[in-house]
Amino acid sequence: MNYLLLICTDGVSTPEIAAAMQEHTPKWVDEMDSRGVRLLGNGLQGRDSAKTVRVRDGRTLITDGPFADSKEFIGGLDIIAAESLDEAIEVAAKHPVSWYFSIEVRPFRHEVAVPENWTYEQLRYLMLPCLDGIPEPAAVEERLLGDLRAWAEMVDARGVRIVGAPLAPASTATMVRVRDGETLLSDGPFVETKEYVAGIDILSCETLEEALELAAAHPLSHVHMVEVRPFWGA
Amino acid sequence: MSSGTVQAAVQEAFRDEWGRVVATLIRRTGDWDLAEECAQEAFTQALISWAKDGVPAKPGAWLTTVAGNRALDRLRRGARGAELLEQIAYDPLRSPGAADQDDEHEPDMIEDDRLRLMFTCCHPALALDARVALTLRTLAGLTTAEIARAFLVPEPTMAKRLVRAKAKIAAAAIPYRVPPPELLPERTPGVLAVLYLLFNEGYSASSGDELIRGALCDEAIRLARLLCLLMPDEPEAVALLALMLLQHSRRDARVDSSGDLITLEDQDRGRWHREDIAEAERLLAGGGPLDGTASLPAAGPLTSSGAIPGTYRLQAEIAVCHVQRETDWERVRDLYALLARLMPSPVVQLNLAVAVAMAGDLDVGLTLVSELAQRGELAGYHLLAATRADLLRRRGDHLQAAAEYQRALALAPSEAERRFLRGRLAQLSG
Repeated sequence: MNYLLLICTDGVSTPEIAAAMQEHTPKWVDEMDSRGVRLLGNGLQGRDSAKTVRVRDGRTLITDGPFADSKEFIGGLDIIAAESLDEAIEVAAKHPVSWYFSIEVRPFRHEVAVPENWTYEQLRYLMLPCLDGIPEPAAVEERLLGDLRAWAEMVDARGVRIVGAPLAPASTATMVRVRDGETLLSDGPFVETKEYVAGIDILSCETLEEALELAAAHPLSHVHMVEVRPFWGA
Repeated sequence: MSSGTVQAAVQEAFRDEWGRVVATLIRRTGDWDLAEECAQEAFTQALISWAKDGVPAKPGAWLTTVAGNRALDRLRRGARGAELLEQIAYDPLRSPGAADQDDEHEPDMIEDDRLRLMFTCCHPALALDARVALTLRTLAGLTTAEIARAFLVPEPTMAKRLVRAKAKIAAAAIPYRVPPPELLPERTPGVLAVLYLLFNEGYSASSGDELIRGALCDEAIRLARLLCLLMPDEPEAVALLALMLLQHSRRDARVDSSGDLITLEDQDRGRWHREDIAEAERLLAGGGPLDGTASLPAAGPLTSSGAIPGTYRLQAEIAVCHVQRETDWERVRDLYALLARLMPSPVVQLNLAVAVAMAGDLDVGLTLVSELAQRGELAGYHLLAATRADLLRRRGDHLQAAAEYQRALALAPSEAERRFLRGRLAQLSG
């Protein structure tokens, strides 16, 4: 099973937290890489660098900030392979972010194709296409699926997509927090909003402009929205 | 065979075997809905077959085989079955007609299935209300309509809750297993909590369908018995069963003919179920002595040196004190003092304050209640005012007591409790 770990923080740090992150995050990465658990991942730039893209009546609307206006926001992500949710929880609970903030564990719909020789330099922009979970008429759904396939073919032809994978619904998410050495779980995504993240696309494109252009071409920015986030170093 | 006899046999089998049949089918197919549907069909088939051929020697094995065969048939027919069938090939379902000799193959596996199911239903990644609903549906075999009635929610809401929980189990790969030893200390309390919540839901007669609520208590006790059987080395499971039995022993004495609650002091002890109390006492005695609380640390750091009893054990020991001819309030006080340290909830502290007062320090008890009130955690909780009123009444401070009863009256959530408080008020002025 493949899971997405969404590293959630409220951006407020203390010297203690910063020190713990600096010390334990690389250790976590090493351990999970050597266990073969971690497939890919990196941190994202702060919430101020987030853009949310909507296309309505042929006009592209770009707003600053994440799609969900909440105290906590996504500060990074890891794609992991685990045998069950229990292992995914164990992996998340070992990540220092879960000791101070929280980690959302969300299953992917199916196995994620992660290129074997990916590099951190390739991870430049993250796209989070959103859905609202309200079923559309069958004809609309079918057209949307066709558009999604066409969009994927287009970005893959450009050679700018490192990973693209749909997530299981937000109702299958689990929040993991560790407090006083105890692993605390709760059902549901990190922020309960009408819209939720339906998948991830990790892009290697050079500029933010290109990432925003691809987001505006994404079918879900026409019905809902797509959040675009630069990775560290982008 | 008369249809009445067959029906009774099927009903008995349903009570005893439903959870086992479903649990085994889930392990073999990984499909919760399929397991439930095929179990249902097997019980329907039993009504016909048992009338014709008689009740089998091992109804559980018969039902598991029939349900298993149904599942195989359905999988063969269904397109999505091919992959599942391949998996099942490694864990073959029985051939038809082998009902009576088949459970010798894997008795341990089957016995463990219900424990697997229990831990999976109570997995902490599921919402608490979903854990409770899932436990009642899959393990206890209550219908969605019955569970909805018990929790006072519309049936479609309950159905959605169950669908969502099962979808999460499948999509997020919540494992169908008894957690490995290192996870057990973390996961077992969650299972106990769901069972106790079930019991309390049935026990608090404040609202809902009486019959269904009674069934919740029975189911909780039955599941706790099962858990004790499956986890004989878990002292808190035994303690929880004892605690439930002690509370349940008063079921016929705690409500009067008009449905009003009767306090422990005023209950007709002749109506207590002595056999439940005796069983609970036996269970607790089996857990080794709790030598007073003298040996327990009333202050200072609590370590997990093994000397500390669990919270269910403490609550059960308190409940035992309350069923004695004379309540040993000093012991109750000491037990609550320890419980308050392990489980520092304001309600436990309120109970500690009462025990302190009843053990002789009425003024200290009242001070503790006032301190609790000042902290505001129980603001709006009618029992805080009612407790204070009761202690003031015992001190002979009738004027102040009346004021507190009035306050409690304004906060009381149910008519039965308001009637009780009005009765107390009338006694004061009388």
